[in-house]
Amino acid sequence: MRIVETMSHDAAQATPLLSEMKLAEDTFLTDDFVRQLINVGEVDILVGLPTHNNAKTIGSLVKSIQSGILRWFPRERAVIINADGGSRDGTPELVTGISIDDVRPTSNLNALRTLHSISTRYGNSPTSSAAMRTILSAAELLQAKACVVMSPESSGIEDEWLSRLLRPVRNEGFDLVTPIYRRHKFEGMLLTNLLYPMTRALYGVRIREPYTHDLGFSGRFAGEFLLQNSWENEGDADGSELRFTLAAITGHHRICQVFLGEKEHIERHASDLVPALRQTVAPLFSALEPDFPAWSAVTGSQPVPTTGPDHEVSLDPLRVNRKRLREMFSTGVAELASVFQTILSPSTLTELRGIARMDEGEFRFPAELWVRTVYEFAASYHKSVISRDHIIQSLAPLFRGRALAFLVENRTGSAEDVENNIEAICLEFERLKPYLLEMWKSRE
Amino acid sequence: MPLNQDVLWYKDAIIYQVHVRTFYDSNGDGIGDFQGLEQKLGYLQELGVNAIWLMPFFPSPLRDDGYDIADYNSVHSSYGTLEDFRKLLDSAHSKGIRVIIEMVLNHTSDQHPWFQESRSSSDNPRRDWYVWSDTDNRYQGTRIIFLDTERSNWAWDPISKAYYWHRFFSHQPDLNYDNPAVREQMWKVMSFWLEMGVDAFRLDAVPYLVEREGTNCENLPETHEVLKELRRKLDEQFPGRMLLAEANQWPADLRPYFGDGDEFHMAFHFPLMPRMFMGLKLEDRKPITEILQQTPEIPPTCQWSLFLRNHDELTLEMVTDLERDYMYDSYAEDKTMRLNLGIRRRLAPLLDNDRRRIELMNGMLMSLPGTPIIYYGDEIGMGDNINLGDRNGVRTPMQWSGGWNGGFSAAEPDRLYAPLIQNPVYGYPAVNVLAQLGTGHSLLHWMRRIIAVRRSTAVFGRGSIEFIHPANHRILAYVRRLGNEAVLVVNNLSGAAQAVELDLRRYKGNIPIEMFGRNIFPRVGEQPYLLTLGPYQFYWFRLRRI
Repeated sequence: MRIVETMSHDAAQATPLLSEMKLAEDTFLTDDFVRQLINVGEVDILVGLPTHNNAKTIGSLVKSIQSGILRWFPRERAVIINADGGSRDGTPELVTGISIDDVRPTSNLNALRTLHSISTRYGNSPTSSAAMRTILSAAELLQAKACVVMSPESSGIEDEWLSRLLRPVRNEGFDLVTPIYRRHKFEGMLLTNLLYPMTRALYGVRIREPYTHDLGFSGRFAGEFLLQNSWENEGDADGSELRFTLAAITGHHRICQVFLGEKEHIERHASDLVPALRQTVAPLFSALEPDFPAWSAVTGSQPVPTTGPDHEVSLDPLRVNRKRLREMFSTGVAELASVFQTILSPSTLTELRGIARMDEGEFRFPAELWVRTVYEFAASYHKSVISRDHIIQSLAPLFRGRALAFLVENRTGSAEDVENNIEAICLEFERLKPYLLEMWKSRE
Repeated sequence: MPLNQDVLWYKDAIIYQVHVRTFYDSNGDGIGDFQGLEQKLGYLQELGVNAIWLMPFFPSPLRDDGYDIADYNSVHSSYGTLEDFRKLLDSAHSKGIRVIIEMVLNHTSDQHPWFQESRSSSDNPRRDWYVWSDTDNRYQGTRIIFLDTERSNWAWDPISKAYYWHRFFSHQPDLNYDNPAVREQMWKVMSFWLEMGVDAFRLDAVPYLVEREGTNCENLPETHEVLKELRRKLDEQFPGRMLLAEANQWPADLRPYFGDGDEFHMAFHFPLMPRMFMGLKLEDRKPITEILQQTPEIPPTCQWSLFLRNHDELTLEMVTDLERDYMYDSYAEDKTMRLNLGIRRRLAPLLDNDRRRIELMNGMLMSLPGTPIIYYGDEIGMGDNINLGDRNGVRTPMQWSGGWNGGFSAAEPDRLYAPLIQNPVYGYPAVNVLAQLGTGHSLLHWMRRIIAVRRSTAVFGRGSIEFIHPANHRILAYVRRLGNEAVLVVNNLSGAAQAVELDLRRYKGNIPIEMFGRNIFPRVGEQPYLLTLGPYQFYWFRLRRI
């Protein structure tokens, strides 16, 4: 490298600089992608689209994004970056094939500038971390001022979403913008029963969607996260979205929430739960170790600036197979007894066994027990009492039990009732935080 | 140097736009004159221009800088005599410089004897030389051009007790081209000057000659008939002379002014100019390539005329609302810089006096298809004075030296027709011809150089254009071709260094020769041709297959 040529002979023969070694080894971005980025140059706005076989929805999403750029940011230099995990359905071609001219006839919008859409395939398997890393790398190389990442499954969104996620960054200096959606009261129960209340209790910041696929952020924060986050084991611990949120909190970046409206409901199967836990709960538990100095000192929680309502639930009837949930919970408690003995305290395990034996009509899974269970899992994860992935997997039946209880408790509840219950769970997580600290320290 | 006898001379021209009043005062009365301009023809010859376009010099009350003509067959006494003009014409021709003069067909001054007669009574023989009406309700679909000053295209005449039609200021009544006597008279006026030796006319405000109810009174077929009739007479009686249209219209609407090569020889490409400024500010070629792609083919004997700045505001009529807002915010943040639908500023202040941007814009002016027009003073980077009203801020005296009155006039400063630019950045002590002649790297020397390079080949004036579309949108690249000759032009619209890969496979085997330094570059091969360009840098390469 050039810098070596300016050094003395002896110095040049010495061990290469660390930065040189990293650069030489770092082939994360393909040459073709870098060439495309050179052509784009510096941008004001970067829209990231992590995709994998999203041909059904990506077309309308890209049109909404382009329409949003033309309508709300006509003067800004903008680029759409598609980080694709190896789609076989033509998703990347759809992203790059849609031009402004496709948007213009229906929107009556004019473009001042060239709007670039570029696509790249990363790695060999689709992971959200690799996609995120690609997008953040592009943001760093293009010196993007404001960025947004959107879920490729977000079909039929309004082009105003783009504006809502970007404006706080562009105009008000926020570093992270997380969304709030109008959700069905029983949608996102992992969020309302674990992720939201636990991050709130531990990190002291009330972010309703700490794990999200639609978010806005500053280029400054993107660059910082890219540098500081460990990308080494990205395949083992996916879920960079959550780490991203937590990094914003611990880095004392300015965070706000914006209300986006209806989030299209995506049908999930029972088998989706373990992957979901791996993507969300695992990175949360993992983050507790490096973040210990930050979260251990926090008491209580504070709201973040929010545009629009800070929650909104809908009450339409929803079919849920409660009997199946009940069975999966009871079976799990019985079959994983030996695993739970290594993770849970005897008293917690006894209580869980007790409710596993309850009749369906009297089934209850109190918030206090649920919080203790989760905290004991977190502490065991920290201690690695068994394989960490086994710990995460074994949480699945217990979560199903908690989800069943939530369904039962809120079956006839109004929106306000549901929200009160979620708030009660949050307060329980906050109240029992010393319990987690105690276990954390005792297991050190 | 004899005049080039080619009838298509205008395709190879470098036109210099100048107002007699502004250029050089030979008699110390504070106003530039014909003799003064004649004395400075050597300067223009050395600059490399081979045509001058003189703004109106006719007798006039000067309420619109001479575009309000009170006598078509004479010259304003401030500028000299008709004999002085004849001498100027002869001197210019002897130096190989053609002379283009203004002809305002659409309207006269309200002080013109024709109008005075016309308004005197409804049965005056010249009554129908203008457009009169008992009401101001006719031609409702017609836009008002000078929005800042006029509320209607009709003005009440208290003498005549009727309304008269005017598309511009109310003191400029429109002539009635439905009247054959008017058409005949205006040809006589043009013949008068053509017989004297004038080479071309810039015909002012041509879209508005004829009015028809239920239309917007612009670009009407009847107007084209009038213009075709003038062209027919010109070709018959004065072959080799040229007509240049001033029609601020979209390219598709402008196209009919060329007819089948039987109407105008040249027309200003108004929509391109603001888009060059826009492309530069956006650092994106899109506005430029878009408008050029919308520009229709014109007959082979016809030519576009291109300009960066002129005596008027930087007009933003031919842009969208979105683009106009962007241009205002980018180039005229101070609202006093805005006038009508435009920006009343000169080239150098518009570009923040950034030498690199000034060079790039001139580079594009000289290399895009058309004949370039340089506005006087822009070759040395003169500034403007927005404190002067209307468009007078861009019409201040030429700055020849750092001495008395900037070398423009020996008169007392308070007798000058307009104050000189005095500010520290653009004032005549800092920006003047004499100083720049003595500085090898001055803008003036650079302008001489680029004009010489432009004139070294006919490809820029007469060649075709083929755009190259590199993925880097900050790069505007095209190949100009004429016969076996090809010139590759690569412009970096960005203020940052850029790398670009050009698909030049069509020119595989050619060796690019950079036209300013005459250095050769690596031969074009099968692979994308990689170039790096500094901020606002441009290259002109002659492609030679050797």
